Amino acid sequence: MSKETKQIMAMGDEAVAHGAIDAGVKGVFGYPGTPSTEVFESAAIIIEGKNDGRIARWGANEKVGYEMALGASYAGNRSLVTMKHVGLNVAMDAFVNSGITGVHGGLVILVADDPGMHSSQNEQDSRYLADFSLIPCLEPSTPQETYDFTRQAYDLSEKLDLPILIRVVTRLAHARGPIDKIPTIPPVEMGIPTDNPDKKWVLIPANARIQYQKLRDKMPTVVNEMSAYNKIEYKDKKIGIIAAGMGRAYLDQLCQTEKQLTEHSRFDVCAYPIDNKALRKYATECDAVYVFEENYPYIEDQLIAFTNEAKIHGRRDDTVPMSGELDLLKLRKAFSLELPEAKSKPGINIPNRPPRLCKGCGHSDAFNNIQEAFKNIGVPDPRVFGDIGCYTLGTLPPYNSIQTTVEMGASLGMALGAGHVGMDPVVGLIGDSTFFHSGLTSLVSLAECKGNVNFIVMDNRITAMTGQQKTVAINIIEDIGKAVGLKDDQIHVLKPLPKNNEENVAQLEKIFSHKGPDLIIFRRECIEAYRKGLYKKLYPSE
Amino acid sequence: MTKVLDKAQGIIVAGVGGQGAITLAQLILGAAWKSNYHCLQSEVHGMSQRGGAVNAHIVFDSEPVTSPTIMEGSADVLIGMEPLETLRYIHMVKKDGHIISSTSPLINMSTYPDESRVLAAIKEIEGVHLVDTDDVSKQLKNRHAGNVILLGMASTFLPMEHDLWNSIFEERFQIKGEKVIQKNIEAFAFGRNLINT
Repeated sequence: MSKETKQIMAMGDEAVAHGAIDAGVKGVFGYPGTPSTEVFESAAIIIEGKNDGRIARWGANEKVGYEMALGASYAGNRSLVTMKHVGLNVAMDAFVNSGITGVHGGLVILVADDPGMHSSQNEQDSRYLADFSLIPCLEPSTPQETYDFTRQAYDLSEKLDLPILIRVVTRLAHARGPIDKIPTIPPVEMGIPTDNPDKKWVLIPANARIQYQKLRDKMPTVVNEMSAYNKIEYKDKKIGIIAAGMGRAYLDQLCQTEKQLTEHSRFDVCAYPIDNKALRKYATECDAVYVFEENYPYIEDQLIAFTNEAKIHGRRDDTVPMSGELDLLKLRKAFSLELPEAKSKPGINIPNRPPRLCKGCGHSDAFNNIQEAFKNIGVPDPRVFGDIGCYTLGTLPPYNSIQTTVEMGASLGMALGAGHVGMDPVVGLIGDSTFFHSGLTSLVSLAECKGNVNFIVMDNRITAMTGQQKTVAINIIEDIGKAVGLKDDQIHVLKPLPKNNEENVAQLEKIFSHKGPDLIIFRRECIEAYRKGLYKKLYPSE
Repeated sequence: MTKVLDKAQGIIVAGVGGQGAITLAQLILGAAWKSNYHCLQSEVHGMSQRGGAVNAHIVFDSEPVTSPTIMEGSADVLIGMEPLETLRYIHMVKKDGHIISSTSPLINMSTYPDESRVLAAIKEIEGVHLVDTDDVSKQLKNRHAGNVILLGMASTFLPMEHDLWNSIFEERFQIKGEKVIQKNIEAFAFGRNLINT
């Protein structure tokens, strides 16, 4: 370690924040989502302590977050935008087209994938979206690499005139370890681009065709630049191993005790796009190839396309299970190594201990109100279109109050659709942060709906689920309801407290019986945030 | 002098969201770091922290460490802050590994098995060291003592030097004041003595 470096303890997510700030990032944007949230939070804390003109702002959703970062890049500043994997779906339009426009100040996108679905509805692999968008991707395997890659990504982004996606997975995002940091540089200021006469930022077809062709023409340079991160070492060619991301981390760990594995040829992938020629050569020259990557068979399928399937061992041939995350045990099994001898399992059945709503949470009162009202008006088997947030836990006993959870904002759109085809009564239930993320656009169509469609906003004025972040706006939902054409008697604000049970149930009975659209706002503070005194801190002018 | 390890050490901390499993794990990680070992920790964030099962893995070695998680059947030490949670991770521990567990149940679920059956099952396990953390915390007049007592017990199976632990508490609880530091040092020593005597 040189005199200039400093060692700190950091999680993978925090390492991203340090890497970006040390590279002179000016604007940090994003939308919370496990396992990515701590990147923004950590950056915000560092920025607060620096007072050198940097800013961190949550967007209403990932698309807005992405656009803010792209705008900051256009204005000549290095920027970072953070999101979880499914958030990239939301930001996809901006993401794909930012590859066509290119960037000005370096633009880095941190996307945290969630193999094993610890906190997500799917385990989609962001490498495909980077590939599809012709946007380069770096994939670190340790907190140190996460720091280094993020810091270096800014120079790469400006050099290649492209955004760079940093892909981490849960096990890295939430892996804590020492990192060696180099000194921070001040925010980089490049000014507004001077090559504007090219109109490369105006994607009307005439310009877009030119920009897209330029991007295609640039790909060999991109591959060449990114290949510097990938390492190929030919040794014994009977077996070749290809390892990427956490697959590489587990393989390195395994090699500590199983030295014989270091005799095989090895292809370490840290960056995409991968040089196809090198990959094809490796696949051809090795008799058998083992692939360890998190978590779709992305590299593996390219190898299968180059060679015959029988020599490629990975998820496709069940050497590693197709779904779920990798671990050391799966790698041992893949190489038919002896498995450790564990203590025997206890003689009793261990029931799951799922997460639950906090004691005293207003959501539980709201769910009780809803269930009781349904019962009283004679709906024996009520169905509620649900959404993503703490209140998703309302699907579990004793509430059993949510029957769908698909994606951010789905509750309201699905409720509208079901109402249009005649379901009665219909309830779509969403939290305030999720409402601002992707519910607003459905509310716009509520007033014209002829059916008995009831939108419920569980408004605790905070993004509670991901650790109580500030919501982009507070206290305006009923005004928006009015603005989109709902009458005063179609907008109802209830306070979910045990003492209000009777009154709330009586009101809900009336509302659910009304054969037209209604907007119900259950407004009460998140009990945990309230106890911590967070509201005063987040909304000082309140 | 830091002891040179012949293989990576794996510690699992298990508990219920809100019990402080991640904080406890960070104390161990800090001790490994201060001992100049290569180290990594894997922790669970997000939904599970709302009263669900939570665990953290700590791996450290004299050689570089790249896997933040421990392989099934190979943990050297399991620290369980709650008996049912201890039982949940028994299969993660190697055959001759050590288990330190609280016997004080945290029942926040309707499906929690009969307490006597949980205790009977945990007592049957070889290499288990039990403590009633609720009871001992009362004795020490420190309602937060439980986790640090468990850590004191576990420390007897870890290669870090004894004196190092006090400096870890000093660093971690500095902002909370000298009294909190001393309370923790006391609870730690109590746990250590449970194994050593």
